[in-house]
Amino acid sequence: MQTGELIAILAGAAEPVPPGRARRRLLLACLAGLVGAALLVFGILPFRHDFPRIMLTAPFWMKPAYTAWFAVAAFMLVDSAGRPGAKATTGRMVLIAALVAIACLAAINLALTSSDQRVTALMGRSAGFCPIAIVISAIPAMIAVMVALRGMAPTRLARAGLAAGLLAGGVGATVYAVWCRESTAAFVAVWYTLGIVACGGIGALLGPLVLRW
Amino acid sequence: MLRGLAGDAGAYSQLLTLMSRYLRGYFGRRLGAGAAELEDLVQDTLLTIHLKRETYDPAQPFTPWAYMLARYKLLDHYRREGARTMVPLEDAGALFATENAEEGAVRRDLGKLLSALPARQSQLLRDVKITGLSMEEAAAKSGMSVSAVKVSVHRGLKTMAKRVRDADG
Repeated sequence: MQTGELIAILAGAAEPVPPGRARRRLLLACLAGLVGAALLVFGILPFRHDFPRIMLTAPFWMKPAYTAWFAVAAFMLVDSAGRPGAKATTGRMVLIAALVAIACLAAINLALTSSDQRVTALMGRSAGFCPIAIVISAIPAMIAVMVALRGMAPTRLARAGLAAGLLAGGVGATVYAVWCRESTAAFVAVWYTLGIVACGGIGALLGPLVLRW
Repeated sequence: MLRGLAGDAGAYSQLLTLMSRYLRGYFGRRLGAGAAELEDLVQDTLLTIHLKRETYDPAQPFTPWAYMLARYKLLDHYRREGARTMVPLEDAGALFATENAEEGAVRRDLGKLLSALPARQSQLLRDVKITGLSMEEAAAKSGMSVSAVKVSVHRGLKTMAKRVRDADG
């Protein structure tokens, strides 16, 4: 086919593209991931009977607030990873801000804890379980975000995969945080972050395999 | 591109025609002008620009976006080829002979950067890096010592690199 013909065909097919369609699809993927994670977490794990009481406490909201913040930052990173040539500066700043915030909270938390209680504050009762639960909760979001991102145009696949993994981890962790019984900032800073970063690592490995278009 | 996104077929076809010319130059310089797969890659990238146009953020400049797509297609092409294809030596002349709009723009920018340097430095850079004189020849021509030429060329390149970075950032 002559290039001129191709141009004519493409120009003929130039129906307007609504701005933000890609972003909307990415948002939809996150919602699907949220629902999927909720089904997993509340379907598999036992129901929490102290739910209504605990819901009114500040520590309960600290966890999903942190993970949601993280997810928002990762969303920006995924969005720029799917746009060739886009800069990821804002997303990176928001991500660092989230990490700094939780690190500060954790430091205050540990400083206010008596020294013999510090290990308990850090390890809680579910230190080993938490990151694994987050990775599992992140599976639906991981799939949905990867599909959405592939529909965009990622050109650096490992980096795009990392961003997608972090986003999936943030979404999964936000749902798991609702169920989780831990309440110390130190625990969240270490084990939640570890779970989300593990998701990011998995995403970075998957990226070059599944994101090619 | 903006009007193309809004559905203006005329502007869109103008843009694609312009892009096809740039792309032909871009791929031509990397694959050798007249390579059999050249036109395929150009068409492939045009198609990609069309299919992926929703990932173009109107707030960002258009060229880097299109350039990244072209680069992705080129890497894709290399991967499919298995290895980077060697350009036969007889054809190498064609690589350097290609003149096109993009190269003209690059040359103009280079001229602008060079003219911002001190006269002697820019003359040395022109001699060594563009005309292709050796350090010794350039030194003899300018009446400076060889090491002074080396230092001057190095400084000139550094100044230019810094200027390009500042202009980009």
